[in-house]
Amino acid sequence: MARMACKQFLDQLDSWIDGHRPSDAREHLTACPSCRLIVEDHAAITTMAHRLSEEPADPPAHLWDSIRVQLVLEGVIRQTPPVSIRSPRSFWRGWFALPTPALAVVSIAVLLAASFALRAPVTRRMNDYRWMRGTQNSTSSLGAQLDSVEHATVASLAANPVVTAALHKNLAIVDNYISLCEKSVRENPQSEMARDFLYDAYQQKAGLLAQMNEQGE
Amino acid sequence: MHTWFAVPETNWKSAFLLVPALIFTASSASARRIEKHFKVDARPIVTIHSPSGTVTVKAWTKSEVLVIAEVPSGEVDLGTAQDGNHVDIGTRLLSNNISPSDLRADYQVNVPENAELQIHNDAGGVNVANVLGDMSIETVAAGVDLQDVAGYLTVKTVAGSFSCTRCAGRIEANSISGNFNFVDTHSTHIQAQTSTGNIIFAGEFLPDGQYRLRNYSGVIELRFAPGDSFDLSASSLKGKVNNEARLIPPKHSFRSSPREGEALFGSYNAAGRASVSLTSFDGTINIVKR
Repeated sequence: MARMACKQFLDQLDSWIDGHRPSDAREHLTACPSCRLIVEDHAAITTMAHRLSEEPADPPAHLWDSIRVQLVLEGVIRQTPPVSIRSPRSFWRGWFALPTPALAVVSIAVLLAASFALRAPVTRRMNDYRWMRGTQNSTSSLGAQLDSVEHATVASLAANPVVTAALHKNLAIVDNYISLCEKSVRENPQSEMARDFLYDAYQQKAGLLAQMNEQGE
Repeated sequence: MHTWFAVPETNWKSAFLLVPALIFTASSASARRIEKHFKVDARPIVTIHSPSGTVTVKAWTKSEVLVIAEVPSGEVDLGTAQDGNHVDIGTRLLSNNISPSDLRADYQVNVPENAELQIHNDAGGVNVANVLGDMSIETVAAGVDLQDVAGYLTVKTVAGSFSCTRCAGRIEANSISGNFNFVDTHSTHIQAQTSTGNIIFAGEFLPDGQYRLRNYSGVIELRFAPGDSFDLSASSLKGKVNNEARLIPPKHSFRSSPREGEALFGSYNAAGRASVSLTSFDGTINIVKR
């Protein structure tokens, strides 16, 4: 059986997380450090989220204060002694006086915010990885095809030295442009601009090779 | 002995003067001027193919296409064909192994004002003036100079520069290392992309016009006048954006993608806004007053 590729594994990541773990996915994970890192990151997020829901720690004072002020403004709770003179602990006790639906909504909002804040760097790494893989998948076959066309085209170029020199010089420019864009995508895989410029560069190379091909005919 | 050397010395001087004159005379004798006329109806299609040389096209009021070709070598000839309202002009190679210098042919072509042009010239230059029909121009190293033209203009060069003066209509230009220069253009749509070339835009910003200038490196320079009105988006991923326009920030700063590199967004004056987008990878973007 053919070995699973990273793309296939990442496509099945959701079912892996849900507990469906076929043997080929397990084999891939053992052999692939990048995918292992992603799964470990996800496990860390899940653990943290569980811990947050099970053991709610005292939140920072300013967070509760601002939530409370907002609830008072919206009429969900009544104005009690001024927020500024209440200690976080005393407010925490008063918290349970909130109507139950409001408590539920606010707790969920806080949990989501905290979970989002904790997840951000890890999600970014996962997204980086996905963008990187996506960009590589879409450009690597294109690059290989263009390379093979390039070999055939350059060999059949017409004899006008001015034209040939211009074509070669500009092919080198586009190749350099591609490698700089690839570097930029590697540095910041989520950069839409860098990816746009990379695709543009490939498009320019394809156009140039088509033009060179016409010259050789 | 003295006399003996004196005479040949005088002859050598004469020879030095005579040889270039003879070469000039010989080359003039081999250069040919070929002239052809084609009767056409309204909106003819004129196609020109040239591997090397200058192609100059001008509009005139006659319903005919005039081709004057200057062919310096005997290795190539003028090839023409007419199929209805379609005139095909090109350099015909008379043998297989022609030296690059012998490929040259210069064309001067007069066409009706509303003619549609398709020009392919590898090296040399392309100049078009006062033609109002659509045109498509492709070159490798040849520069392209358009003046007072209109219609749907597409220009594609590899290394040739492109200059567009008082052009109207829709303009699409693409190059790898060519520079672009848009002067006093009156176009509602300009889309220009070059990899390493510079782009200078000193044209009009028409209401609802769209101006998209993009390069990889080099300079993009947008020149504006106090009465102009446009929405501007300028971003250089790794380069600089220098701005002299007093821009009003957008009311809703929501954008679908995060700002990357050095970026600038805003409106210059309010009424009849054009949309201007300047994008560079690591080039410099200058927004300067005219």
